[in-house]
Amino acid sequence: MSYAAGLALVTALTACGGGDPAGGGGATSSSSTSSNPTSSGSPTSSATSTTSASSSSTSTPAGRTVEVTITGRKVDPAPATVKLGVGEKLTLTVTSDHDDVLHIHGFDIEKNLKAGQPTTVELTGDAPGVYEVETHEPELRLLKIAVQ
Amino acid sequence: MTLGVLAALPAHGVGSREDLPLPFSYLLVGAGLALVISFVALGALWKTPRLRDTDGRLVPKTLALALDSPALRGIAVLATLFVAAWTLMSLVFGKDNANNPVASVVYVWLWVGLAFLSMLVGGVWRLVNPLRWLHAGLLRLARVEPDFALAEYRLGYWPAAVGLAAFVWLELIAPDNADLPVLRVAVFGYLLVGVILSLVFGRPYLRRGDAFTAWSSLYGTLSPLGRRADGRWVWRTPLHGPLQVGFDRGLLAVCAVLLGTTAYDGFSGESRWYGFVQGRSFPRLWETAGLLGVCLVVAGSLALAAWLSARLARVSWHGVASAFAPSLIPIAAGYLIAHYWSLWVWEGTNGLSKFSDPLGTGGNWLGTAGVTPAAALITPSLVAAIQVVAIITGHVLGVVVAHERALALFPRRAAVAGQVPLLVLMVIYTVGGLTLLFSS
Repeated sequence: MSYAAGLALVTALTACGGGDPAGGGGATSSSSTSSNPTSSGSPTSSATSTTSASSSSTSTPAGRTVEVTITGRKVDPAPATVKLGVGEKLTLTVTSDHDDVLHIHGFDIEKNLKAGQPTTVELTGDAPGVYEVETHEPELRLLKIAVQ
Repeated sequence: MTLGVLAALPAHGVGSREDLPLPFSYLLVGAGLALVISFVALGALWKTPRLRDTDGRLVPKTLALALDSPALRGIAVLATLFVAAWTLMSLVFGKDNANNPVASVVYVWLWVGLAFLSMLVGGVWRLVNPLRWLHAGLLRLARVEPDFALAEYRLGYWPAAVGLAAFVWLELIAPDNADLPVLRVAVFGYLLVGVILSLVFGRPYLRRGDAFTAWSSLYGTLSPLGRRADGRWVWRTPLHGPLQVGFDRGLLAVCAVLLGTTAYDGFSGESRWYGFVQGRSFPRLWETAGLLGVCLVVAGSLALAAWLSARLARVSWHGVASAFAPSLIPIAAGYLIAHYWSLWVWEGTNGLSKFSDPLGTGGNWLGTAGVTPAAALITPSLVAAIQVVAIITGHVLGVVVAHERALALFPRRAAVAGQVPLLVLMVIYTVGGLTLLFSS
């Protein structure tokens, strides 16, 4: 997957809004934004991860939880691949120090990020493949989701 | 899936889906096979040169006649010109959104599709290249001889090497590269440069220097269909074509670009690489350096191995690296198939769907709007199998081509020892390629 994809997305917003063909396909997703980490709308977020200032990735019977923090051009934790079983749920919380757009390839998800406010997205693995999670301003790749 | 929800990301970007990492067991088996096959081949293969440009089994007469017939050639040229004109229409008048087909045509069809087609039927771009017909048309309009040239062409493959590297830079690094304004600059820039160079240097430029002709011709050497020395059509092995590639300036460079650009594409998906790059102040500068660096590493390592080989065989190292450069072609082809198979299936098909609505009016002018990619062709297990088979096959072919070359270049008693550095290098390339598929 190329960096170009992400770049292309910056302006090909119709693609982002309209949805990706390749993707998670029928994966269902819901999302919520909250200004308070502890009231994050995700039922599967674990207490430890939502209050953690940095980030963590935990696995619970209900699914996986991943938190990512963006400071300027720095992504914490460093980009990595999160494995997700087919049918498994991922709760992703992203906090950025600037306004941005979060885009999850293949799952038709695009969310506005407000500076300093954690944004939580839930998705369920469906079609096997690897999908990128990125932001647009600046173009940063946060992680990859490997559905297998 | 309706046309409206098709996303238009370029090339590997295309699609928002990537292949799952290669299972570790595949990596081990592939690497082991590459190692064993290489050194068994060293001892077991023939000891005197035996692949000749006169080899091959004549194709049936009707097929040979058809291949040379003006009718078939004319149809191929007209079909290509139609696709080119249709794409230009989309480029100029289409809507700048995700459903515009230009990005798919440029980044998927012209790149991956042309390489795959050429591997099957040979270097067709030399015949159908729209630049060639533009050049011929301009000369005819001006009532000038078709062989007209202002200067003798002496640049060999260099313009192609530069052009291919520039294309990959556009595809993988340039900002907003799926947007029409950027694509317009790229496409019209390419056409303008091509027309100028072909007017200055004449047809020899179009045969050697045009980037896509080189791309198609070099991968086309692997086709089972080829012309032997007397010009007749024959079926032959994918070993014969690469050995027929004659020396010209820039041959090592263009072969290194073939392998290096695909390797960079895999490498750039490594989370450690992009994690490092995206945190820098000028990420695109780093990426450009990475792309050029990978190509230079390929060229430099081949030159070094060739130099060592020449030393071991006690012959002059002059020209040895270029003589071995064509053995990179099958290895690059293996990488290419492994890396882009699912992209081709997925975005190649989606591109065909978008192609039916060139102006973004919601039309279905060609009746292909409803085509969807065949999911059965890109199941994870099939993709993993294709990746390993392609890379190992490319490796084996590369080893045998290098073996044959070594027999022709080196004195017989030194030919075995002289191959060892090249074999080691090919094993490194192959294990490296598998590792990229495993880890990125």
